[in-house]
Amino acid sequence: MVLLKLYWSFLLIGFGSFGGLSMIPQISNEVISHGWMTVDQVTDIVAIAEMTPGPLGLNCATFAGMQAAGVPGAIAANLGTLTPSLTLCAVAALFFQHFKDSTIMRRILVGVRPACFGMVLGVLISLSMSNYFLAGSLHIPSVVIGIVDAVLLLKYKVSIPKLLILSCLSGLILFGVLGLA
Amino acid sequence: MSFCFEVVITLTTKEYAKLLGEFVRFGCFTFGGGWSIIAQMQQLYVEKGQVITSQELLDLTSVAKSLPGVMIANVAMLYGYRVGGLLGGLVCVFGMCTPPMVVLIVISFFYQAFRTNYWVMAAMEGMQAAVVPIILGAAVGLAKGSVQYPPCYAIIAVCLALYLFTSLNPIVLVLIGVVSGLIVGAAYAGKEARSHGAA
Repeated sequence: MVLLKLYWSFLLIGFGSFGGLSMIPQISNEVISHGWMTVDQVTDIVAIAEMTPGPLGLNCATFAGMQAAGVPGAIAANLGTLTPSLTLCAVAALFFQHFKDSTIMRRILVGVRPACFGMVLGVLISLSMSNYFLAGSLHIPSVVIGIVDAVLLLKYKVSIPKLLILSCLSGLILFGVLGLA
Repeated sequence: MSFCFEVVITLTTKEYAKLLGEFVRFGCFTFGGGWSIIAQMQQLYVEKGQVITSQELLDLTSVAKSLPGVMIANVAMLYGYRVGGLLGGLVCVFGMCTPPMVVLIVISFFYQAFRTNYWVMAAMEGMQAAVVPIILGAAVGLAKGSVQYPPCYAIIAVCLALYLFTSLNPIVLVLIGVVSGLIVGAAYAGKEARSHGAA
C-alpha cells in the first residue's frame, strides 16, 4: 500500500511541477505530511541531490522512497516522478515529429529557439554567480578550475565525463590535500 | 498497422543497446541540473556524431522545458523518440535515470556521514567549478542554431533579462518565443516571397 501511495504522491509532484528547485515546496509538503521524511531530512536531501548525479526531483524521489519502503519504495517513487515523461511527453514527441515541418511549427520554432537560448544564457550567468562568488567574494581556486575546464572543453574538445573526473581530482588536491578554502 | 509498428520500434537491437549505453553514461555525469545533459548531448550528437543539428537540440529542449515533470527525462524521451520511436524514448529515459537512482540508494544508507565528509566536500567543490564551463560549452554549440533572422537577437535579450530579473515560469518565456516566432516568421516569409517575386 505504501508503494502505491509513494507512486501516487510522486506522480502528483511530477505533473504539478516543472523540474529543478520549483519541485522542492511540493516534495517537502508530500513527504512531511505522509511522515516519510522529517524537515531536517528534506534539507539534507536537497544538499545531497545537488552533490550526486541526476536531477533534483528524481534524487528526492529515491531518497523519500528509501526512507518509506526501501529499494521498492525508491523504484515506485522514481516511476511516479517519471510518469509525465513516459505519458504526456511521449504523446508530445509523437505530435512534434509529425508537425515539426509544417509552416506554422517552423515559424513558431523561429521564436522558440532564441527564447530557449536566452534561458541557457540566464542559467549560465546565475550559476556563475552562485558557483564562483562565495560569501560575496571571488573564489579564486574555483575560478582557476573553471577557466582550465573551459579551455580544455572549447579548445581541446575534451569530453564532459573526462572533464568532470579531472575537476573532481583537482578538487581533492586543491581543497582536500592543500586545504585551500 | 505498419504505421503503428514504425512508431514503436525503428532500430535494431544493437542500435538500442548503443543508445542505452550512451544514456547510462549521460546519467552518470549529470551534475548541476538538467543542463549538463544538454551539454553532453550537444557534444556527442551535434558536434561529434552529427545525428541531430543544434537547432533540433534547441527544439527538443524547448518542448521538454514546456512540459511538466523532470526536464532531462523529457529530453531523453523526445530524443529517444526522434531517433528510435517509442521504444527508443523508453530506453533513453530508463537508461539515464538508473545510475542516479543506484548511486542515491547506496548513499541513503550513510547520507549523514556522506554530507559532512571532508573529502567528499573537496571533490564536490571541484566538480561544482566545472558546471559553468560545461554549460558554456553547450551555449557556444547552441548559439548558431538559435538565430534565423535578425529579430531573434532581440528575443534572446528579452528572455535573458526576464530569466535573470523576474521569477517567471520558463513556460511564459517559451510562450513569448511562440508568439514572437509566429510574427517574425510570417513577416520574413512575406519579405522572402516579395523579393522572390521581384527577382
